Amino acid sequence: MQQTRQIAGLHDIELAALAAAGDRPAFGELVRRHGSAVRGLLRRMGAEASVADDIAQDAFLTAFERVGEFRGEGTFSAWVRRIAARLYVRRWRKEGRLQAFEDGGQEEVSGGEISEASRIDLDGALKTLSPTERMCISMCYGAGLSHAEAAEALNAPLGTVKSHVKRGLDKLRVRLAQPSDALDGRRDHG
Amino acid sequence: MAEADFESRLLRMFDQPPPLADAELFSRRVEARLDRGWSLRQLMIGVAGVAGGVIAAVQMMGSGLMPELTEASARGTSLISGEISEAWRSTAALEAMPLSGEVLWMAAAMGVMALAFAVTRAVEEF
Repeated sequence: MQQTRQIAGLHDIELAALAAAGDRPAFGELVRRHGSAVRGLLRRMGAEASVADDIAQDAFLTAFERVGEFRGEGTFSAWVRRIAARLYVRRWRKEGRLQAFEDGGQEEVSGGEISEASRIDLDGALKTLSPTERMCISMCYGAGLSHAEAAEALNAPLGTVKSHVKRGLDKLRVRLAQPSDALDGRRDHG
Repeated sequence: MAEADFESRLLRMFDQPPPLADAELFSRRVEARLDRGWSLRQLMIGVAGVAGGVIAAVQMMGSGLMPELTEASARGTSLISGEISEAWRSTAALEAMPLSGEVLWMAAAMGVMALAFAVTRAVEEF
């Protein structure tokens, strides 16, 4: 109990150092702190909940094996999210879904009308993107990969990734427009 | 500038994880998998250690080294030095047997690995 209380008060970097020395409770605390961020990213990348959880578990197990490599240059959460994003891309590759990048990734989304709520909700807004746009946006803004790193992970040309990011950003900018902006617009026209 | 603002906003939104009701359950599952992996590793090292010990024992008994050591002990301390050198010759004979030397050393290495693991584990537990 005492140990649990002590662990809870430690910084991520301290916990990672303990985990590197084989302290599993310390790593468990890191999982508790950042599990939702990793699972959330995978869902935002387009993974179904059960798939996202499987990959998130694998990502944390990989992180435990490699926690000695974590130097605290970024946040621990970002580090595990990068691992998780790469694992999800690997799954895409296995399922042959990366073909979409070679085909130009112009597939349409069968999402129907955009609800009012989705205008202010990132999760809802991401669903309006094509799978490739969603993947690229999530990798670059959610997992913190550069365009070049995302292109390498996806085995796609850099220009293709940049195009998907640009198109995705354009769509998100519209979807995530503040309600106040919309109200202002209505007032202007009313 | 507006582009940069929007990208910053997007980064902030991505940094906010969606609320997940089963967060604690997920953590427990990961910890259980970690424990399973650890137990499996312990089991593998234990099996390797036991196998190494058995092989070493069989090799030593097969080489006739054990009776000689027992005899040396029975003759008393005055003869120990002479008997040890005799036993050493038996060890040399053991090494001269095809494969025996290598198997013995491999077994000894596995035994040492198992011992190292046990010590590490003991330090971690206590």
